[in-house]
This record gives sequence, C-alpha cells and structure tokens, in this order.
Amino acid sequence: MTGLPLAPTILVDLIGSGLVIILSFLSLRYAHLLVKLQPRNFIWGFLFFFCIAMAAFSISRGVGHILRIFLVLGGHEELWQRFSPWSGGFNTLFMISVSSAIIYYHKGLAAYKAIRSEAEKLADANRRLEETADELQKVNTYLEDMVEERTRELSKSEKKFRHFFENSKDMVYFCDINGNITDINQSGLRMLGVEVRPSPFNLLSFFKDDQALDRYLFALSENGFVSDFEMELASTDGSVRHILLSANAIVDKNGFMIGCEGIAKDMTRLRTMTDQLIRQEKMASVGQMAAGVAHEINTPLGVILGYTQLMMDDFAKDSEVYENLRIIERQTKACRKIVADLLKFSRQTDRARAEVDLNELIEEVLTVSEHNLNISHIQVVRRFAPGLPGMIGDAEKLRQVFINLFNNSQHAMPDGGELTILTRHDQATGELVATVRDTGSGIADEIKPKIFDPFFTTKEIGKGTGLGLSVTYGIIRDHGGSIAVESPVHDPETGDKRQGAAFHVRLPVVAEPKAVNEGE
Amino acid sequence: MKFRFRTLPILSFTILLLLQAVDAWALQPHGGGEGFYIHQMAHVFFMGTLTYLYLHTRRSQDPDSRGWRYLRLFCILLFFWNLMAFIGHESAVHLSADDFSDLGTWHEHLLSPLDALKFTYFVAKMDHFLTVPALLALFFSLRSFYLVAREETKP
Repeated sequence: MTGLPLAPTILVDLIGSGLVIILSFLSLRYAHLLVKLQPRNFIWGFLFFFCIAMAAFSISRGVGHILRIFLVLGGHEELWQRFSPWSGGFNTLFMISVSSAIIYYHKGLAAYKAIRSEAEKLADANRRLEETADELQKVNTYLEDMVEERTRELSKSEKKFRHFFENSKDMVYFCDINGNITDINQSGLRMLGVEVRPSPFNLLSFFKDDQALDRYLFALSENGFVSDFEMELASTDGSVRHILLSANAIVDKNGFMIGCEGIAKDMTRLRTMTDQLIRQEKMASVGQMAAGVAHEINTPLGVILGYTQLMMDDFAKDSEVYENLRIIERQTKACRKIVADLLKFSRQTDRARAEVDLNELIEEVLTVSEHNLNISHIQVVRRFAPGLPGMIGDAEKLRQVFINLFNNSQHAMPDGGELTILTRHDQATGELVATVRDTGSGIADEIKPKIFDPFFTTKEIGKGTGLGLSVTYGIIRDHGGSIAVESPVHDPETGDKRQGAAFHVRLPVVAEPKAVNEGE
Repeated sequence: MKFRFRTLPILSFTILLLLQAVDAWALQPHGGGEGFYIHQMAHVFFMGTLTYLYLHTRRSQDPDSRGWRYLRLFCILLFFWNLMAFIGHESAVHLSADDFSDLGTWHEHLLSPLDALKFTYFVAKMDHFLTVPALLALFFSLRSFYLVAREETKP
C-alpha cells in the first residue's frame, strides 16, 4: 500500500493539543499575576481577558481534537459524530471571542490612553498643588513662627516701656501739634495736680510763664527738641512746680511736626532745699555780721546811756536840757533793744533751757495779747491738741516767738479777722507743730523768701525795725526747729485756698536735754 | 449585579415570547454547510484582528520591550496558523473517503497518487507546529511583562 501515513499528524495533534492547553494556562497565570500586581493597568486587563479567551479556545480545540482521536481510534465514530458539531461550534465561538477581545483592545486602549492622559494631568496638577500647598504650609508655618516671635518680642518690649512709662517718677507725656496731651503717666497727672484727665487736657495751659512757653515752642519747632529746659508749671491745686523738661518733636514722613513727646522732672523739692540752704547761709552770714556789729555798738551805747543818765542827775527835771537828755536816753535804749534783738537773732544771748509745755506757753502769751487783739476786732480761735509731750527750750524766748507772730497777724488784719492757733504732735517726725494762721492780707510770693531777713519790713518807715521775724527765725533755729510760711492758706477742712497767712513752727520734742541753763 | 426595575418588563416580555413560540417558520433554516462557512469566516476574522494587533502594538508600544516583541511574534505565528487551518479546512472539503485507507485507525494513509491537495492537507494537519510556538511566544510575552512590572513596583 502506497501513500502518506497520517499517524505522525495524529501524534502531533495529540501532543500539540496538550501543550497548547498547558501554555495557554501558563500565560493566563502570568496575566492574572499582572492584573493583581497592577490592577489599574488597562493593558494587563486586556491581556488577562485575551488569555481567558485563548485558554477557552485552547481547551475547546485541544479537548475536541484529543476526544476525536480517542473516539475514532477507539471505534466510536458515531459518538464522535454526535460531539463533532458541538466541538466545532465551540471552536468557532471562542475564536470569535479572542478576536472580539482584540477589538476591545483597540477601543479600550484609546479610551484608556485618554483617561490616563487626563489622570496624569490631574495627578501632575495634584502633585504641583501638593507641592504648592507644602510650600505654602512651610511659608505659613515660618510666618506663624516669625509673627509669634515678633509678637513676643513686641509684647516684651511694650511691657518694658509700659512699665517704664507707668512707674517713672518723672512726668512722661505725648502731645499732639496743639499741645493736647494724648497720653501721660500717673506721675505726670500728679505733677499737674490732676486726678482725672480733663477734656481738653492741654500741656501748654500749665506753663506759668508765657515767655518760657514761647521759648519751649520755638525750640521744638526750630530745633526739634528741648533739653534741660527749666520752667515752672502751675498745677491745678495752685502750687507752682519747678520743672526740668526735655522733649522731642514728633514728625511725620514729610518731616512736618505732628506732636511732641517729653519727660519732665520735678525739681521743686531740690529747688526749695537749695533756696533754704542759700537762705540759711545768708542768715548765718547776716547773723554773724549782726553779732559783730551789735558787739561793737553795744559798748558805746552803754557808755552813751551811762553818761546820759549821769548828766540827767545834774539838771532839773523840768529843764530843757533834762528833757533833751531823756530823749537821748530813750533813743539809746531803743538802739540797745535793736542790738539785743540782733544778738537774739545771732544767738549771742544767754540760754535758759527748761522743760516747756507748748500749749501752756502759748496760753500765757495769749493771756497778755488776747485783750489787745480783741480790741482790733480779731477773734482768737484755739485748737490745741491735748496731752502734748513736753519739750526743752527757753520759755522766755519762745514766748517772744509767739508774741512776734501774733503781732504780725494783728498788723496783717487792720480791719479785724480770725486768728487761729493750732498745736499738734507730729509723731512721724517727733516734732511739736504750732500753727499761727490769720485771715489777713497774706504774703506775696515775691517777698516770701525775704521775710526772715533782718531789717526787711513791709511796714512804713519808723513803724517796724524788720527784726521781728528775723528774731523769731533765730530763736526757733536755736531750738533745733524750723519755721515755714504758707500763703494763701490751705484749709484742710474744705480743701480750698483762702486769703491769709499761716506760720508753721516745728520744734523738736527732745532738744539738747543737757543744755539747761547753758550760757555763753 | 444590580437589577434595575426597567429591565424587569423587558425580561418578562422576552420570556413570554419564548414560551409562546411554537413553529419558527419565519426563521431562516441553517444547514450543515453553514457551520463550515462560519468557521472559515471566524478564521478570517481572527487573522484580521491579529494583523491589527500586530500593527498597532508595533506602532504604539515600546519597540525594545521583550514582552511586546514576543506578543508580536505570537500574532505572526497565530496568523499563519489561521491561514494554515483555513487552507487545511478547504483542502479537507475537496478530499473524499476514497483518498484515504484505514480510516479511523493508526494506519490511516493518504492514498497515492499524492497531489498538491493531499500534500496541503497533510501539512495542514501538522498545524500544531505553529500553535505551540505561538502559545510559547504568548507565555514568554506575559512572563516578560510580569517580571518588568514586578521590578517597577518594588519599593
């Protein structure tokens, strides 16, 4: 028998069908792994479905072929004829399925590319947005930190300067261009005598001297500052404060002055102390001179008086010469009294110290003087503090102190008035305080520094020697005390100022206890 | 799968139609030859899609990628398998039982004289020499894709 044997084709068909099935499933396995690895990748998805279709086709075809070989070769041709259409049908179906999967790839890939392009753009935009957000976050965080740090520093600085501003013992102020105070510390308010800020509150209105105000404004506008400017402020309570002022002009960005800021130091206490020191020095010099003059004059006056009195014995009392000698004697005695007063002022007299009750001493003086005061329509008011401690002093000289003060008050009230005498014990300083207050004409500020000078008087010539307050000053100083004058008088009950003058005598409770009967 | 209420009437209507069908005289009858033509057309269709896949991947995908190269090889091999199968089916149609001896046994022969038709039929019966390499190429292709993808996704 000649021909071509078909056994090799059967064998190839059998083995090939098996291999195709195995390889298709191995491919499907890797396709599945790919899909699992990157589920969002469209191409892997396509290959997975493609491999499913290929596996189905391989099974359909391979199993069909193997079944055909076994059935036909096994003598079951009829059975195969029954399966054959099904096998062929499935082969066709799965072949079309594989082809359809490829078509699906065509359209799907285009859609996938478009979507992926958009997704990439979106992802890129998102990435850039995230980068920008990160940068913004960093900048924001940095800004927040910076703002926080600056705020902290600013707060610290503000607290520091606010503390300085509030607690400064000097006046610190800020004004607008018109001098209206925009901000001022408590010391400033106290200095100006203001408790609650009035409206308007203008610094310039407190300048006592108009010329000083002009100089201040001129210096600010011309130089932009004033430094150590000495001036006087008239506070609302009427007191005058000596001020050392330093101020700077505040200018806007165009260089125009829009206000000023300044610091003012209250020099009143220093000024007062300086004045007192000067006065004390002056008094000491005057006293020294007066003592020298008194000593020199006292001896010739004694000789003149002695000779005059001797000569008076030689003439008849109704003679003209006797009368002339009497005039000489009287004037000489007047001169000796002046000399004695000068010696008292300069402490060149004997001391007789003993324990003194101040209330009792004043009462003794009033016993003598009150009648005379009443005649002048002056009402005497006693406000003695009971139980005052005693003091060591020369009673006679202290009486003269109060006699002089009462006389001055009487002269200050020619039309009558009220004379108030107050005593009290200032436990804080350990002093007795006696105040002689009248409702008279008062003492002008200009002459206040001179009233204790020897021979200074406001009385007409011949009516006063000008030694009363000088002697008073000398006696009180000799007792370790002090005397101060107040005019107009501050009424502690009403808080108002009223016309008149008040002399405040301060004497130490214990002064030189060993100096009893001490003399020079 | 979500079941929409809109599909319920359509499905019910279709089932009712199927239950009512008694005689399908209006339908075209499909004889035995139709299956053969359909199958041959499926081969042509398969060849067309494989050609498209080959050309498209060559144009759009990375030419240096081993995976795509294997896939294109798969397309070529399977294309020629389709062609071989198509020709084999055609040649089988023109052969008759007289051209064979010992049909249905291991001793089956194509009887002489051997002509081109018989030879073509014989060669076409060896189509697994194309399908097995084609599936092997598909396997290597997917394996390459997987190995590359796994490398890419490593942290």
